[in-house]
Amino acid sequence: MHRSQMQPRSHENTKKTLLFFVPSCLRGCMFVLLAAVSLSCNRGATPTTAGKPTVALVLKTLNHPFFVDMRRGAQEAADRLGVNLQVQAAEREIDVEKQMQIVENLIQTGIQALCITPSGSREIVSALVKAKDAKVPIVVVDTRLDAKAAGDAGVRPATFVGSDNYEGGKLAGEYLVKASGGKARVGILEGIPGHETGDSRLRGFRDAVKGSPGISIVASQPANWERDQGFNVFQNMLQAHSDIDSVFACSDLMALGAIEAIAAAGKTGKIRVIGFDALDDAKKAIAAGTMAASIAQFPAEMGRVAVESAVKVMHGETVPPEIGVKLEPITKDTLK
Amino acid sequence: MTIGSATTEAAAPRQAGAGARSHALLLSARQFGTVIGLVVLCATLWILTPHFLTVSNLLNVAEQTSINAVVAVGMTFVIVSAGIDLSVGSIVALSGVVLGTTLQAGQPLAIALPLTLVAGLACGLANGALISWGRLPPFIVTLGTMSIARGAALLVTEGRPISGFEPSFRALATGRIGFVPAPVVGMAVIYLTAHFVLTRTTFGRYVYAIGGNEEATRLSGVSVRFHKTMIYGVSGLTSAMAAVILTARLNSAQPIAGMMYELDAIAATVIGGTSLMGGDGTLAGTLVGALIMGVLRNGLNLLGVSSFLQQIVIGAVIVVAVLLDTILKRRDRA
Repeated sequence: MHRSQMQPRSHENTKKTLLFFVPSCLRGCMFVLLAAVSLSCNRGATPTTAGKPTVALVLKTLNHPFFVDMRRGAQEAADRLGVNLQVQAAEREIDVEKQMQIVENLIQTGIQALCITPSGSREIVSALVKAKDAKVPIVVVDTRLDAKAAGDAGVRPATFVGSDNYEGGKLAGEYLVKASGGKARVGILEGIPGHETGDSRLRGFRDAVKGSPGISIVASQPANWERDQGFNVFQNMLQAHSDIDSVFACSDLMALGAIEAIAAAGKTGKIRVIGFDALDDAKKAIAAGTMAASIAQFPAEMGRVAVESAVKVMHGETVPPEIGVKLEPITKDTLK
Repeated sequence: MTIGSATTEAAAPRQAGAGARSHALLLSARQFGTVIGLVVLCATLWILTPHFLTVSNLLNVAEQTSINAVVAVGMTFVIVSAGIDLSVGSIVALSGVVLGTTLQAGQPLAIALPLTLVAGLACGLANGALISWGRLPPFIVTLGTMSIARGAALLVTEGRPISGFEPSFRALATGRIGFVPAPVVGMAVIYLTAHFVLTRTTFGRYVYAIGGNEEATRLSGVSVRFHKTMIYGVSGLTSAMAAVILTARLNSAQPIAGMMYELDAIAATVIGGTSLMGGDGTLAGTLVGALIMGVLRNGLNLLGVSSFLQQIVIGAVIVVAVLLDTILKRRDRA
């Protein structure tokens, strides 16, 4: 800074300004480059064929096999029916504000129908109001909207496609009653509190075991749908209640975590693990005997039916207000 | 807005011998770079998709950006003072829960709103006091608060969201002033006020001074402890303001809301040219940084880019922006 006193001040300024200006522009160029890169990658993934109507599928997340399967089913249906499918998801399953942004942004692109698995049964209603205002028909998949919140806002989805989680929980409870002969000490791993999906499964399970006095629920704690939390929470449960002989996890990821905790405690095979979703990993665990059962949902089927219904609604056909997708307990015996 | 003038005044003592005018020009050129980045990004999206440059979409982007932008106001104060605040996301959740609980209890907005802001402010002041008087690193203190505030929010609500509010409250997010969404107007007012505080008040000057050289500031007779506490208070306060917008937008106060907001706010601040080393940065830059992130997310959605790729692009933009900023600063010193 001291050296160039010889030069006129104004010249100095110009030189310095230029010196800064050029790299500043570089930064601008980087943005273009990145945007261009993302576009060229995108071209391959979803060809935007003009003229074809576009159906959007907004998922809770894409980092869960359940939703990846759902996307597969939806894509197959979209290809068969000749519509574009736009799949978007937030980075994290619980980020309903981000999901809301995605819905708002998709409405801007002029989608003809919206299939959505709500990250928040009440919160997402605000975004669906915007879809309604844009006259985009809505198909709700897997997780129900809060009936009151939707009703108050005047949001009327064309249909709900999903499995009845309450029935699924009941199937799990009934399996436990049968397998244990009506005598068990159960630990429960819950999903994120306040989530309709987990709450319903839990209610179904509790109702199914209510009639068996020999079955007592000794602990019930949330492990937030996650595998590592399933491990930690169940490990703690085992510390507190060493006599637990059965565990019901509201999702397979948590059940798989619990299986690890059981192995760490050297109790493999001594504790009956019942999961939910029948993920591939869970099926392997059932085959290996470390897991007793899992309630199978059919997410690909949900995706397929959702897109089919959306296309029907687009063409002015009517669809039933609820379309149930089957549930099935998977055990070692039923595993093909 | 006079971009960079405050930095000039505060940074001038560090740059002994450099003319203040020359420095102002250089800094505005640097800020200009970020603005060019935004303009080029917008132009690119305009070419790539017909849905981008429409009034309704631009208002949409501004509305979506507002929450992160407001959180980033406080973050800018903190980072300019050479600190960091990891607790903003949890404070958003906790003050949102305070707001939800109070409204649900039937209290009018006139009581709920001040209570919410006080809750956020209190969290921030607690952070600041522990950092100043407890002589603890900001990273550790705010990491602790991040967990404490989140836990408190979950405890109060038993993990369940509080939802369903009066339309008069929801108007804070859904209402429009003229054709501009209310959150955007709120964001503008907050930025103008905060810009005034940061550039035209003694407190604002001290924020830069503390970030530039804390020891020298203390030796000049400034109560560094008091002002640092206030700086974190500002961060808590703006987090609470963001919570008001978020709660009205979702029609729900969620104890799990605001996760990772700290990272988005830090990203907006550093993309906007604020140095993590402190003493340097402007709110105009932060606003542009927040808009870049908002436009990028919106554009990638419009283009139907896979959500995995979106994360890569956003991460790359953050790194590249800071990398270029570092290169600029190195030349500055040379």
